[in-house]
Amino acid sequence: MPSDLTSLVHWILFLPLGAAALSALFLRRAGGLAAWLSTGVAFAIAGLSLFLLGKGGDVTWHVELAKFGGVSLGFGYLIDANARLMLFVVSFVAAWIHLFSVGYMKEDPARGRFFAGLSIFMFSILGIVVADNLLMTFIYWELVGFSSYMLIAHYFDKDYAAAASKKAFIVNRVGDLGFILGIAMCLSLYGTLDFAALKDHAAAAKTIPVAVGALLMCGFLGKSAQFPLHVWLTDAMAGPTPVSALIHAATMVAAGVYFMARVSFLLAPEVLHFIAISGAGMAALAGLCALAQTDIKKSLAYSTLAHLGIMGCALGLGRPDLALMHMAMHAFFKATLFLGAGSVIHGCHHEQDMLKMGGLLKKMPLTAATFIAATLSNCAVPFLAGWYSKDAIIEAAYHGGHFAIFAFLALAALATCLYSGRMIRLVFLGEANSEAASHAHESPWTMTLPLVVLGLVYSVAGGFLAHTIIPAGSLQPIGKALGEIAFHLNAPSTIVGLLSLAVGFFGALKFYGSVRGADALQVLSPRTYHILEHRWMDGVYQWYVDAVQRRLAEFIAFLDLLLINGVAVRWIGGGVPAVLGYLTGRSFHRGQTRAYAFWIVLGSLFLIWFLIAR
Amino acid sequence: MENTSLAHHLILAGLLFVLGLTGVLVRRNLLVVYMCLELMLAAATLALVAFSRFNRTMDGAILVFFVITVAAAEVAVGLALIVALFRKRGTVQSDALTTLRD
Repeated sequence: MPSDLTSLVHWILFLPLGAAALSALFLRRAGGLAAWLSTGVAFAIAGLSLFLLGKGGDVTWHVELAKFGGVSLGFGYLIDANARLMLFVVSFVAAWIHLFSVGYMKEDPARGRFFAGLSIFMFSILGIVVADNLLMTFIYWELVGFSSYMLIAHYFDKDYAAAASKKAFIVNRVGDLGFILGIAMCLSLYGTLDFAALKDHAAAAKTIPVAVGALLMCGFLGKSAQFPLHVWLTDAMAGPTPVSALIHAATMVAAGVYFMARVSFLLAPEVLHFIAISGAGMAALAGLCALAQTDIKKSLAYSTLAHLGIMGCALGLGRPDLALMHMAMHAFFKATLFLGAGSVIHGCHHEQDMLKMGGLLKKMPLTAATFIAATLSNCAVPFLAGWYSKDAIIEAAYHGGHFAIFAFLALAALATCLYSGRMIRLVFLGEANSEAASHAHESPWTMTLPLVVLGLVYSVAGGFLAHTIIPAGSLQPIGKALGEIAFHLNAPSTIVGLLSLAVGFFGALKFYGSVRGADALQVLSPRTYHILEHRWMDGVYQWYVDAVQRRLAEFIAFLDLLLINGVAVRWIGGGVPAVLGYLTGRSFHRGQTRAYAFWIVLGSLFLIWFLIAR
Repeated sequence: MENTSLAHHLILAGLLFVLGLTGVLVRRNLLVVYMCLELMLAAATLALVAFSRFNRTMDGAILVFFVITVAAAEVAVGLALIVALFRKRGTVQSDALTTLRD
């Protein structure tokens, strides 16, 4: 019954919008009410999405909004297998993060605004998932950018949060410029923006212009924080921790991957190749950079960058199914990691420096257990969630014959184990390194319940996810991929995975236990540590803006002053009256309105005569 | 209606326009000048309606609705300006208002 499912999608999409409007307009002062409204809605759509996933029918629905010549712009839904999976992952993770936020934001005076922001974000991201054409996708894309901006700047009275939100917004604009040009190009080449119609055109055409894919890719580079537009993501950690978990780890940054999978038929081989190389490179770089962060959230942000790189790499290898699977697995364990970090920060009275933590295993047992489970999943320990997707991607890279990509991914796997071991060692083992950490306490149930559900259940039940829910959602190839690839114990990916686990994880546990109250790598080699802190990337942009962009802008401003302002406007507009006034002794210029009107009429008559006589 | 042509309408519109223009040029009271300006606008809209009718399209007639709406708003602004001018300067005779010269 397609009409039933369509109305179901209406509910999924518009419930959060309604909640956002209600909270923003009426519940600004009633934060508690707004929190539970928003959370209730999130759980409702999670239930509806699960129902849709179980039911499994495709939904297509479209209304035309406007028609210009032969071009029709419309609003509609296109729910296929990927969309059902994405809907489920987004709404399910989001629901638990909403519940976590209820506890985490309890003492925040601006709770109404915060939950209104979360709800408007839910509306936008679900919109991207269900949209059936490029135009609506772009509109939701920008809405997601707006809500991300608003939530990063939640503590807008802090300078660093305001600066971080601005940075995220501006960097995304750079990517979105390419995106909108790509949309324009699709329109001019194919005359339509609907995904289904575009797919037919792409199938009919022999080759797709490289520029189309490259321009659409720009949107992905910005939103999914791919190199070189990845600089905003680590700064975005200035937002509240649930926001980092939901938007900047689990869902929004993955939306770029989802979008690329959706338009994969428009991507030329050259574009795919670029995405694969840059994704793998960034995975390795970001994984190593995570080693040199003392802020627990920043370290996790670099970990997210590394996983986004891996997803990008899978896309580039022509395996969007694997990319989406990794997106789903990553959403579960990374949300858990961020929520765990939030719980730790909450327990340590807003201490975010890992070097000042330590020994939290005994004080926060639930948080520690779930965090460690998610970390092991992150490290791709066999039979945990991350293993199924990450190993499959590394295997695909090996079989694809791309040695450089395989090497980068192997390095990324090693780095992942290293920073995971470091994080566990610094935060949960050893002894407390500060007053705050020694007085840490376990968080309330609204915060630990989501941790347990997302962390223990879903990191551990990765196999269940990989074999039942995700293929049932219907990514058919995955079951096959797993059967073929991941279960060969002598496969290169398994060897790489187990080796890096043994060397990296346990090595890091031992290495970082050797120095107390400081970072062991910093003590050993300050220069390496400094490079890995990754501050230089901002320096590169600073140099570009100062030395290239500003010079160009100044030159253009000079031309404007000289040619437009000087020659075109001042010379004619100022010179002619000055000369005439001098010659006639200002006899025209009496200040009488009627006289001016007379001259205007005379001038008009002269012009008309001139035009007719010609 | 049968024995009027487009030319009749246009001549009427032209006469109204010239009447308004003459008023703008010779009258000194800003209020009267303003009424003459409105007369010129009315002449233009009359021509528009005439073209619309004789070309058998509704475009011009519909445009006139918008023009009249905007004109109403513009009259409100213009009259308010004249009232403000009178309060400030104590006169609305255009010959007395020559500050523009300096």
